Amino acid sequence: METARYAFEARSVSKFFPGVKALSEVSLKLSAGSIHALLGENGAGKSTLIKIVTGVYQPDQGSLFCSGQACRFSGPRDAMAAGIGVVHQERNLIPRFSIAENIFLERNGRHLFRMIDYKALAREARPWLERLGLDLDPALPVSRLTVAKMQMVEIARALALRSRVLLLDEPTASLTPHEAEALFAVLRKLRDEGVSMLFVSHKLEEVEQLCDTVTVLRDGNNVCDARSTESLGRQDFVHLMIGRTEQVVTRRDREQEDVPPFLELKSVSSALGHRDISLAVRPGEIVGLYGLVGAGRSELAKVIIGRYPVTAGEIRVDQAPVKIRSVAQAIHRHGIGYVSEDRKHEGLILDHSVLENAGITVWRRLANCLGLVGDRSIRALVEPHIRKLEVRTPSLHQKVGLLSGGNQQKISVAKWLSAGVKLLIIDEPTVGIDIKSKAYLHELIHELADKGTAVLLISSDMPEMISLADRIVVMNAYRVQGELANTGEYAKVSAGIMNLIHD
Amino acid sequence: MASFFLSNEFGLIVGICIFIAIFSWVDANFWSPFNLFVISRSAGVYALIGLSMMAVIATGGLSLAIGAIGVCAAMAFGWAIESAGLHWSASLAVALAVALALGYVNGWLVVRTGIHSFVITLATMSVFFGGMLFLSQGQSFRALPAEITEFGRLKVFSISALFLTAVAVALLLAAFYRFAALGREMLAAGACPEAAELSGVHSGRMFILCHVLSAGLAGIAALLVTARFGAAIPSMAGQLGQDWLMPGFLAPVLGGTLLSGGRVSVPGTVLGAILVTILANGLLRMSIGEFWVQAILGCLLLAAVLGDVMRKRYLAASGRA
Ligand SMILES: Nc1ncnc2c1ncn2[C@@H]1O[C@H](COP(=O)(O)OP(=O)(O)OP(=O)(O)O)[C@@H](O)[C@H]1O
Ligand SMILES: [Mg+2]
Repeated sequence: METARYAFEARSVSKFFPGVKALSEVSLKLSAGSIHALLGENGAGKSTLIKIVTGVYQPDQGSLFCSGQACRFSGPRDAMAAGIGVVHQERNLIPRFSIAENIFLERNGRHLFRMIDYKALAREARPWLERLGLDLDPALPVSRLTVAKMQMVEIARALALRSRVLLLDEPTASLTPHEAEALFAVLRKLRDEGVSMLFVSHKLEEVEQLCDTVTVLRDGNNVCDARSTESLGRQDFVHLMIGRTEQVVTRRDREQEDVPPFLELKSVSSALGHRDISLAVRPGEIVGLYGLVGAGRSELAKVIIGRYPVTAGEIRVDQAPVKIRSVAQAIHRHGIGYVSEDRKHEGLILDHSVLENAGITVWRRLANCLGLVGDRSIRALVEPHIRKLEVRTPSLHQKVGLLSGGNQQKISVAKWLSAGVKLLIIDEPTVGIDIKSKAYLHELIHELADKGTAVLLISSDMPEMISLADRIVVMNAYRVQGELANTGEYAKVSAGIMNLIHD
Repeated sequence: MASFFLSNEFGLIVGICIFIAIFSWVDANFWSPFNLFVISRSAGVYALIGLSMMAVIATGGLSLAIGAIGVCAAMAFGWAIESAGLHWSASLAVALAVALALGYVNGWLVVRTGIHSFVITLATMSVFFGGMLFLSQGQSFRALPAEITEFGRLKVFSISALFLTAVAVALLLAAFYRFAALGREMLAAGACPEAAELSGVHSGRMFILCHVLSAGLAGIAALLVTARFGAAIPSMAGQLGQDWLMPGFLAPVLGGTLLSGGRVSVPGTVLGAILVTILANGLLRMSIGEFWVQAILGCLLLAAVLGDVMRKRYLAASGRA
């Protein structure tokens, strides 16, 4: 008998959805003791392939082999039993359950009537958290965590299964470089222990750093499979993915007029723990808000839009002091919009169509005297953005929840581009978006500012910050550490930011 | 086009045809003008009751109080005509105003307390009904003007005017959900209040308006019943208005309205109501006891809900939902 060359193999797998050919005859080979990259643009079929390997979907054609043996999974449990662990692109945690319960969810599910020993559970969960450098109380409910922390908990859960094959679908999408490093150290250690890993990411630096071999998908087809990354550089990856080389968007130096700020915070403290926050955003200006995770940036955004109360200090909109009590008030009275980083719960209505999601911010504005608004006028307004971002969808009437993760993210930002707000707070706009669309999205944000919208940009992606922002305000531990003008010189600005953080 | 043949609406049309075929085979008088009139008359009322429930199901909640609200509206109508001496058109306005106000109370309580609408409307059902009994002393209003009773008997090619009214209301409602910014916002809030709120929709306000809309439709349904009986009777929807619950849930659920909120089907609800009416009418004419009719309708509701669950599972496994 031939000894298994691959820990896992998929041969000519195809998968069709109504109106979409997600995968056609795709092959994937994972060797033991190696980290394998899976690359492709948004909607190329990466997550679909992972879902087939983990038994979430059945392949329409093709076959799977575990250590050389043909296998069929009729559900996720089968795949798990075969030693395949996974971190899906979308979060799959039970919010009200504790971290420890979530980590051992699989195991507790098996004994219907046995009492759960919560103490033991927490004790067992701790080492997994520590391995990832997480200092979290395992008894904490998951609903209290940030998106990044939830992602780490989910990784811990996959590690705790001690699988032989581990599939990670964009595990670093919402992590900071620091957290990602902790993760990579763990993955390298697992590689040395002989685990076979599949790693999906749109951040090519990570792939270059970490991965041994690469499979690239384009429109559901293999461009290459299990090719060694040794001789490949960033431009080669890009070329494989999009069929041409990357267009570098040059930073435009934008003229700043000396107009009074649209939004001004004066020594604002909040119920969430912000202290003495002062900042200003002028019309047509893009102000970046940089900080490590936990610096309180998203929380500050929620204070500005009236989700949480201001306890001291003053917020001024158009130079008049205001008290914003609700989100609706922020949008309708003051023209302040917020693109949430949590697109699944706060950004999109997954069950509604692309058009309904993209149009929700403009219905009121487009409605005639009878309050009626037809699809045609909505399309005219939102379709250009959807086209420009190359959203991959069979039609505008497709449910948003059926789009690939990156395409969902595009919609959650696109719906604000035509909303006509005067200030847009954008929280992590390009998480999970491929490099090509990312450049387009940056252009659209620039256009928005050029038309006079004030933009407050929250991003943990330093290159993004530097290519978009006019000024960068640095936050740490719920305070503003300082602010610097963005000259566009990467080394200098990033050093400046780091200095401010560690001041 | 293929999606139409997979839709609930198509399934209902097939179901209706099957029932019609069966009943016209076993019952020679099924197609008689009188029976057509009777069926269309009940179908109109059931359709409005279903739409009334559908309007709250759109929020992911439900309302047990639609029957009570309907009776209150009908009694207010009777009172306005007989005791206050208003013209019948002004009395219609009074009746609808009462219904809308009661719906507002429901919606306001649900949004303000954050308690599930099941509990709130269970309570308000008793309160509304009890209040109505207290104010009316349990007396019916039977001296209604001729216009009202004539409307109840009016027919166009054997089809009751009540049904035509219901169809007209349904058309308006369908257009409302499809084209009105307000209707779209109601559905957005119902599907995901958090995301809708962050997109500038007043989710709480939308929930209240959904209850108000539902109450308005319940009011119209009750006025049709009043026209049919030629009287406003406290027991016209049964004890506490509970007789409306079965048709209220059956029609939208059969029609494919999502119980978790955010998606409604107006044509589906109307078709569901027609199917229920034909089934109930056919069974009653076969002299199967009222009790059995109720039991069979209960089974139909269970089957509809289970069918929906199974369809979702199937779609999830094949990656279509
Ligand atoms: N359940 C589904 N029903 C219909 N279409 C689907 C479904 N799941 C995925 N698709 C479609 O299949 C294609 C591949 O999607 P997939 O999620 O695999 O992309 P991806 O490579 O993971 O993209 P991303 O980088 O955005 O995560 C997309 O066009 C998507 O719209
Ligand atoms: Mg994906």
